[in-house]
Amino acid sequence: MTKPAFKRSVDMQIIADWVEPRSRVLDLGCGRGVLLDFLTQSKDAFAVGVDLDFDKIAACVHLGAIAYQGDMLEFMRAFPEKHFDRVICSRTLEELPNPAAVIAEALRVGRALTVGFVNHGFWKNRLTTLLRGRKPRNAVYTTEWFESRPSNPASITDFEHFCAIKRIRITRRVHLSGDWKTSCHFRPNFLAGYALYDLTQ
Amino acid sequence: MSSCFLGVLCVALSSMNEAEIPALTPAAPATPGEVGLVEPHDFACSEPFTFESGQVLPGFTLRYETYGRLNAARDNTILICHALSGDHHCAGIYSPDDRKPGWWNNLIGPGKAVDTNKFFVLCINCLGGCQGSTGPSSIDPRTGRPFGIAFPFVTIRDMVRAQKLLCDHLGLASLYAITGGSMGGMQVLQWPIEFPGFVKKILPMATTARESAQAIAFNEVGRQAIMQDPAWNHGDYPRDGGPRVGLAIARMMAHITYLSDASMDRKFGRRKKETAAAGAYNFDVQFEVESYLRHQGESFINRFDANSYLYITRALDHFDLAAAHGSLEQAFAPIEAETLCVGFTSDWLFPPEQNREVVLALLRAGKRASYAELTTDLGHDSFLLESPQLYDLVRGFLEKKSP
Repeated sequence: MTKPAFKRSVDMQIIADWVEPRSRVLDLGCGRGVLLDFLTQSKDAFAVGVDLDFDKIAACVHLGAIAYQGDMLEFMRAFPEKHFDRVICSRTLEELPNPAAVIAEALRVGRALTVGFVNHGFWKNRLTTLLRGRKPRNAVYTTEWFESRPSNPASITDFEHFCAIKRIRITRRVHLSGDWKTSCHFRPNFLAGYALYDLTQ
Repeated sequence: MSSCFLGVLCVALSSMNEAEIPALTPAAPATPGEVGLVEPHDFACSEPFTFESGQVLPGFTLRYETYGRLNAARDNTILICHALSGDHHCAGIYSPDDRKPGWWNNLIGPGKAVDTNKFFVLCINCLGGCQGSTGPSSIDPRTGRPFGIAFPFVTIRDMVRAQKLLCDHLGLASLYAITGGSMGGMQVLQWPIEFPGFVKKILPMATTARESAQAIAFNEVGRQAIMQDPAWNHGDYPRDGGPRVGLAIARMMAHITYLSDASMDRKFGRRKKETAAAGAYNFDVQFEVESYLRHQGESFINRFDANSYLYITRALDHFDLAAAHGSLEQAFAPIEAETLCVGFTSDWLFPPEQNREVVLALLRAGKRASYAELTTDLGHDSFLLESPQLYDLVRGFLEKKSP
């Protein structure tokens, strides 16, 4: 597996470990349905995805996954409280114009919320910014600033601060080192490349 | 048309085709990717049919076409449901020099999105229609005259129940999929509610679970145009007569609701007819768009019955799944089929929100349902669009095995 392909799939196993078998799952920003398909196959989950792009929804349909084309906030507003056992927001958060509203709504319609994101406090990200004086570009963030979606680069410390002020309970956290494989327990905001959180209201 | 008359016509048609097709086939082989030569069939049901209204017909006829082959398990049928002014002729041609193929020919055929190499495609003229199925222009056996407005009121559910009788007559074990746009989409939604175990996949497009006030309003203007025409005569008119002016106006207006501001502006703009003198102060046809609408009206009166138009628009008006079942979630509760609903951004008759609401209610009811929205500027008729994106989506949904 190439490095970018590996980095795209690395968090799927951890996310799936947190999903109860046969539970009802919502994937925000489901893309081409790879995670939806994985959760359906490995956990027999009833997995629904939301994305904005027609071609991504078509790719989901080709996989046999359930997907809804539209705005994720509007989608969630159409559901009663705790309709989903779990909402997943994997590598989507930093592209949203209104992450706080999405997290609040996800915690309303879901009994739990899994969030996964690239730690922008990781030392390599700090170093490239410091030395090159430019927006970080790497295997995950491949685009120039002018062709990126809205970007709110957050660090682990930023995210935990957000949870604290919003009184969101962190039930599980996994920090992965720069190799995105081994777990990182020491100074994660500086040494972890990727972070996964399990949240409840 | 009475079933007796239809029976004779059908025999005539089929015997004609039996005589002619063997001779024609070598000379005009079906173009690869095309359904090719097709012929309509008639199903005459002699059992009494009770409408939702409680009214009863002693029997009825449905005209239909099929393409492709029914498999041994008899479970590879895709049912196509037509819109208000559509019919059973959705693909193929009637003769080698027929230049106007069926209305969804771009979607249906060997190797196309609805692949007749894999599926047995069935399309039925709806009950209450006028293209060969029993409707208000058929002869009432009790009087020997057309039913007119003595015909029973028909609903979308009645249309679906009649279609099921034809499916049983054909010995179908189940329907693999049902698709259709607009009124066809309403039938697509009604089917798995009415016959949950019989349908595996549904693919409604440009439709709604509840006819809106705006759509009812347009239907009412069309009906008034017909009923205010003196030639309507309370629905009692000869086969070659009737409210031709009223029906043409109804069609002209309805046709506008199938298009969009952008598509009309692109197609016609403010272009004037060559015959129209510049700056002429009169009410003759001056703009291309006027001429186009008049042509739509004119050609419609030659193929459609005014009373059928009244009945079918009423069936649309009454369609409200939420009201019929208490809520949309309750309406969808029995559904076993998987859904893909497709909306079109420029459709203002059955706009994207109404298509989204179908899928959201299905998901709230715990059903497998997807929603895709195609960006087009062609209005409600977008579902008939030649779009590789749409073809790919439809193929993906139809050919993926259900879990």
